[in-house]
Amino acid sequence: MKLEIENVSKTYRGKVEALRSFSLELGPGVLGLLGPNGAGKSTLMRILATITRPSAGRVLWNGTDVKNDPDTLRTVLGYLPQDFGIYPNLSAIEFLDYLAAVKGLDAASARKRIHQLLELVNLADAARRPLGGFSGGMRQRVGIAQALLNDPQLLIVDEPTAGLDPEERVRFRNLLSELAGERIVILSTHIVSDVEAVATDIALIAQGELVVHGAPEALLAGVSGKVWEVVIPSGELPTLRQDYLVSSTAHRNDGVHARVVADAAPRPDARALEPSLEDAYLATLATHRNRVSAEAVV
Amino acid sequence: MSAIRIVYAIARADFLERVRRYSYLVTLLFAVYLGYAAGTGKISLRLGDYRGLYTSAWIGAMVSLVATTFLSLVGFYIVKNAVDRDRQTRVGEILAGTPLTRITYLLGKFLSNFAVLVSMVAVLALAAVAMQFLAAEDRAFHVGALLLPFLFLTMPAVAITAAMALLFEAFRFLRGGVGNVLWFFLWTFGIALPGLTGHSQLDPSGLWTVFQSMVPAARAGIPGYVESFSLTVADKSVRVATGFHWNGVEWTFGVLGWRLAWTAVAFAVVLCSAWFFDRFDPARSRRKSRVKPRQEGASAQAGEAPEIKTARRHTATPTHLSPLPAGPRHSGSGRLLTAELRLALKGYRWWWYAVAGGLLIAQFAAPLEISRGPLLAFAWIWPILVWSALGTREARFGTEQLLFSCPRILPRQLPAAWVVGILVAALTGLGAAARLALAGQHAGLLAWAAGAMFVPSLALALGVWSGTSKFFEGLYTALWYVGPMNRVPGLDFTGSASGPQAARDAVLYLGIAAILLGAAFFRRARQLRGT
Repeated sequence: MKLEIENVSKTYRGKVEALRSFSLELGPGVLGLLGPNGAGKSTLMRILATITRPSAGRVLWNGTDVKNDPDTLRTVLGYLPQDFGIYPNLSAIEFLDYLAAVKGLDAASARKRIHQLLELVNLADAARRPLGGFSGGMRQRVGIAQALLNDPQLLIVDEPTAGLDPEERVRFRNLLSELAGERIVILSTHIVSDVEAVATDIALIAQGELVVHGAPEALLAGVSGKVWEVVIPSGELPTLRQDYLVSSTAHRNDGVHARVVADAAPRPDARALEPSLEDAYLATLATHRNRVSAEAVV
Repeated sequence: MSAIRIVYAIARADFLERVRRYSYLVTLLFAVYLGYAAGTGKISLRLGDYRGLYTSAWIGAMVSLVATTFLSLVGFYIVKNAVDRDRQTRVGEILAGTPLTRITYLLGKFLSNFAVLVSMVAVLALAAVAMQFLAAEDRAFHVGALLLPFLFLTMPAVAITAAMALLFEAFRFLRGGVGNVLWFFLWTFGIALPGLTGHSQLDPSGLWTVFQSMVPAARAGIPGYVESFSLTVADKSVRVATGFHWNGVEWTFGVLGWRLAWTAVAFAVVLCSAWFFDRFDPARSRRKSRVKPRQEGASAQAGEAPEIKTARRHTATPTHLSPLPAGPRHSGSGRLLTAELRLALKGYRWWWYAVAGGLLIAQFAAPLEISRGPLLAFAWIWPILVWSALGTREARFGTEQLLFSCPRILPRQLPAAWVVGILVAALTGLGAAARLALAGQHAGLLAWAAGAMFVPSLALALGVWSGTSKFFEGLYTALWYVGPMNRVPGLDFTGSASGPQAARDAVLYLGIAAILLGAAFFRRARQLRGT
């Protein structure tokens, strides 16, 4: 089972470049796709889900170019888009049954699967209510269920935890971890903690380019010994932000506790900390931006 | 910020949002086509068998009436989405959280509606100017005679259209297909109002104003004139009345007063709309009868069911999923057809089925000509909202991404939706078909079958291409009114008015159905290929 993304670019009307020569090779496991807003994550997701065609490059599923034969991938694909709709007059069971029919599942398999999925996403009690009355979180859970209908080999989920409460978010993370065994899962999000919890691999995308791809440990190693905590009066915070990359702050009785990513201790009293994935993400992103700015000047 | 500034800001934003869409270009092209049709005689103003010389007065009156007539009908469907767009994009919820009043908001939307329609009127006014130069039947160019009809006749009419579109959006039950169908009949009523009431002032379109102005000149200049006055389409038998001299409508205070009064009516309609407008509060527009008692609560009042809180709610390892059978998945087409049929018919109340059933029984019981005539006509307007959802449901409810990423979607889902449309036509018109079969009227039966295929094909093609149901709802209602209801041969797709030409018309409609189906497939294939 292999998904290859070879030099994929996407240019929208008006010459907006959403992706630039993006390449990646994926096997079974959970890929956490991280990037700021407008980085090109959703464009990449739509291309991988065969919704959008790339302007250049290829996407290969087990060696088959999906541009020429999208059904090869669609047959084994589970896709949860960032924004999706439902049919408000149908119940959750009826909606899932409709999509099961569209995906080609026979009635008996579909019935059993839908029942299990509704249990899985904690919607069994609301299964027969019209979807029109569902809250945002409940609709999102219906979306998760539909993505798993056909037992997909490739599961693409774009901002799946948006609208879920903390409890449901943890549930969904556990589910993704369990599902990841023998399939490729691509989790696109800007919530670093979601990726931290389940990803076996991380790809960081910014301005349409792949910035880094590797194991979370490798990304963390890049900022090892570079994360510090300093305690400063709140009035000094703007200056600190100007001089250093501040990944988080917390106001306490003794002043502002700021988490700083820097090669050397920003102050003599700075305390070294264990780096988090969020520190690594922000540092990598900042380095990338500096590099792009420098190239633009040259 | 003053109220005028707010109204302007709303109108400007809405207008810019509209004119930057490709659909606006299509509406302008429609206006250009109308101008071309009027200029080339495809649409003409007639006084019996005659038309006037192409003077400034005649051209101004004719093209302004074309604008008034067509834009007050079609324009309604074009602009009836100002509030809905805010609802769909959820901008409305943001606006609802501001001190914006309903009247201010709707006045802004009204001005935007009006501006869109006026831009189309402007295209037609330019076409009128060009027409006089190109026709060159009269070289005397009178700006007032040519353009004042647009100002005094067309503007109030499109103002009313712009306001009525908002009124329909303010009422929940008129927002969708019911409103689109109803508008056609209301528009017809509005055109006929002076004739029906005998009061020439009750003339929102301005048609009678021109008619009454032309009659004395027509009596004097056209031999044997019998007070006939019409806008006709594609009629080439018209002759030029050389003895007819008319200098245009005399804009007396009385005439202008009534036109001003109709403009005031438009503003009154906007105010009335504000009274009923729900201000994007789903609780205000929700139908209480459909709420089950157990759903009532704080979140149900906001239009949502309460979150499920059960004992099973936990964050531990989820329920195990049993694997699906290995191998290729090809469920029978019958399964998808059943799913599409359920989707198409879900949500209709018992009385909808009762009326459809009643019409079906009546088709069996009534004499054959009644059964295949008016009863079949009514049976085939009743499911208009089922058909109008074909091809548009995915765009309307935002399920495209879910569906378009499924395998073999084009050869499976679209045909299933089409067959559902045919099944609905066949089931609702079954009585007439049975009667035709029993009477041995094979040509009539063929025409019935052609009609049953034509209607869903038209719906599917218009739906897939436009992404909205309202164009089918407007066009089909008009076609249904002219064809099956008024029994115009050739336009009656049920075949009941075709007489001995039934088989020929049936073949024609089958051909059109095939083309429409092909167009729907072509467009959907392009949508699936992505951008």
